[in-house]
Amino acid sequence: MSDSNPQEKSRPLSSDPMPRPHLPSLPKRPWYERLNALNMTLLIFLLAVVFSGFFVSGSGRSVNVIENLSRFAQDFFPPDWSVLDRTAAALLETVVIAILATFFAIVVSLVLAVGAAQNLAPSWVVISIRMGLNMIRTVPSLIWAVIAVVAVGANAVAGVIALTFYSIGYLGKFFSESFESMNMDVARSLRGIGADPLQAFQYGIWPHARPMIWSHSIWMLEYNIRSASIIGYVGAGGLGLQLHAYQEYGQYDRFATVLICILVVVTSLDFLSEWIRRRIKRRTDRNLSH
Amino acid sequence: MDSIDKIAYQADENVVISARGLGFRRGERWIFRGLDLTVRKGEFIALVGPSGAGKTTLLSCLCGLLQPQEGEVWVRPNAVANPQQPRACRRHFGIIFQSLNLISNADLLTNVQCGRLGRYGFLRTLLGFPGNESCEAYQLLADLGVGADPYKWVSEMSGGEQQRVAIARALFQSPALYFADEPVSNLDTYYAGRVLGLLRQQASQLGRSVCCVLHDPSLISRWADRTIALHPDDPSAWRMRDVRPQAKELQGAGL
Ligand SMILES: Nc1ncnc2c1ncn2[C@@H]1O[C@H](COP(=O)(O)OP(=O)(O)OP(=O)(O)O)[C@@H](O)[C@H]1O
Ligand SMILES: [Mg+2]
Repeated sequence: MSDSNPQEKSRPLSSDPMPRPHLPSLPKRPWYERLNALNMTLLIFLLAVVFSGFFVSGSGRSVNVIENLSRFAQDFFPPDWSVLDRTAAALLETVVIAILATFFAIVVSLVLAVGAAQNLAPSWVVISIRMGLNMIRTVPSLIWAVIAVVAVGANAVAGVIALTFYSIGYLGKFFSESFESMNMDVARSLRGIGADPLQAFQYGIWPHARPMIWSHSIWMLEYNIRSASIIGYVGAGGLGLQLHAYQEYGQYDRFATVLICILVVVTSLDFLSEWIRRRIKRRTDRNLSH
Repeated sequence: MDSIDKIAYQADENVVISARGLGFRRGERWIFRGLDLTVRKGEFIALVGPSGAGKTTLLSCLCGLLQPQEGEVWVRPNAVANPQQPRACRRHFGIIFQSLNLISNADLLTNVQCGRLGRYGFLRTLLGFPGNESCEAYQLLADLGVGADPYKWVSEMSGGEQQRVAIARALFQSPALYFADEPVSNLDTYYAGRVLGLLRQQASQLGRSVCCVLHDPSLISRWADRTIALHPDDPSAWRMRDVRPQAKELQGAGL
């Protein structure tokens, strides 16, 4: 059709087929608008790194780092596998403590996290719960263990109690940050067609928060297994008692066996969480629209 | 304003929404101002206007998602009730959002059944939806051509398929009032006609009312009773127009 049009043919090829209106040029953006919160944080952090570099210094004497370390490492090898069955029993107790503590912490943290999320709760609730969580996090796990041993005696229950409190401090923070990073549009739209706040949370926020919640929870379980092997130092059950003894008597080959066992458990958990995360990602990442 | 409106409602029991002197401002800019709108039972009203004119904003004011700075909206979802604020009768509003707002990490069936959350209390839906309604939800999906696998996640569907899921959610809710924001923007001609036909049927046969943002003039003249056109530059230059002249007598003068 256009071929038969003489005007179409006579038009030079290079010309724009459609005449354009005069287009505005890109408005200039003032330089200070780049100083948003994110860029400022990066800048301050870099300054802090440079500053800190001037403050840290070693003993000043020249030390033979390689020799020191290799002498220390030799004590660990070869690992003494004769204590494997005793270690396995203590390891089981450690894992049991970690699982129970993580479970209780997840249950409590989910409730607390809703109250600590700025998009879900009034600010006075948010502030008070966050204060509480900060105080819990300030206390190291070993101190929680000491407190729990004082309260219920030197046994595995003390370990569960100690790690539950310790984990609440972290999970409460992580969960509330997950909730805060959620897009509220779905929940708001469910409210718009009559859902009550709890329904809007269950159907509008929870499905999106769930992958993050599981991922944080598995991380916490892994962390708790490592913590549970330390709190035995003060008598709160698990591997720690054994580790403490081997360290006291300088039996670093046995110490190594225990460390390898912990490594195996922690690594398998790591694989598990990676697998779960990948499966969830595969379902949610398929479209350009998300 | 309040009492006059209630009288208007008593005079005409078919009035479902009555908006008077509605004005919405974003920052310094009025999106619309002094807007009057009466929606009656069985009416299909098309909201038109160029992109950015404020169609979504007006729809949000009518269904209580935004609070207008001027004027007021009264809603009476069923003839026996007293006129109420939009926020008080949310469960009677079926909304198809421009951005769909589906639960992308949940399956299609769950998404459709979420339409009835407002009908049930928290405890009824805590462990899932009433099982005897799943079939009805599934049939709506199948009717709109997205019933192949009701247990797929929304994130695994195409844009147009997701839009049909959002429409199925609104139809499953079976509300007194439909607010649809460009419900056919991603659909082919066949499903666009199918969807608007279903909404039209809800209005004409079941006495529901539909407020629907539409761009396509041929769809508007085919399905709508009236249009309200918004002007992008002049907030007061909104216009009401009958597109079905024969329907005028039935609906009375008023607007
Ligand atoms: N959340 C917001 N904050 C600030 N301004 C907004 C917001 N949402 C919309 N606007 C502005 O309000 C005006 C009307 O927006 P609205 O979404 O109602 O337009 P629309 O008619 O629905 O357009 P479209 O056809 O593109 O969907 C637009 O100019 C837009 O830029
Ligand atoms: Mg819009």
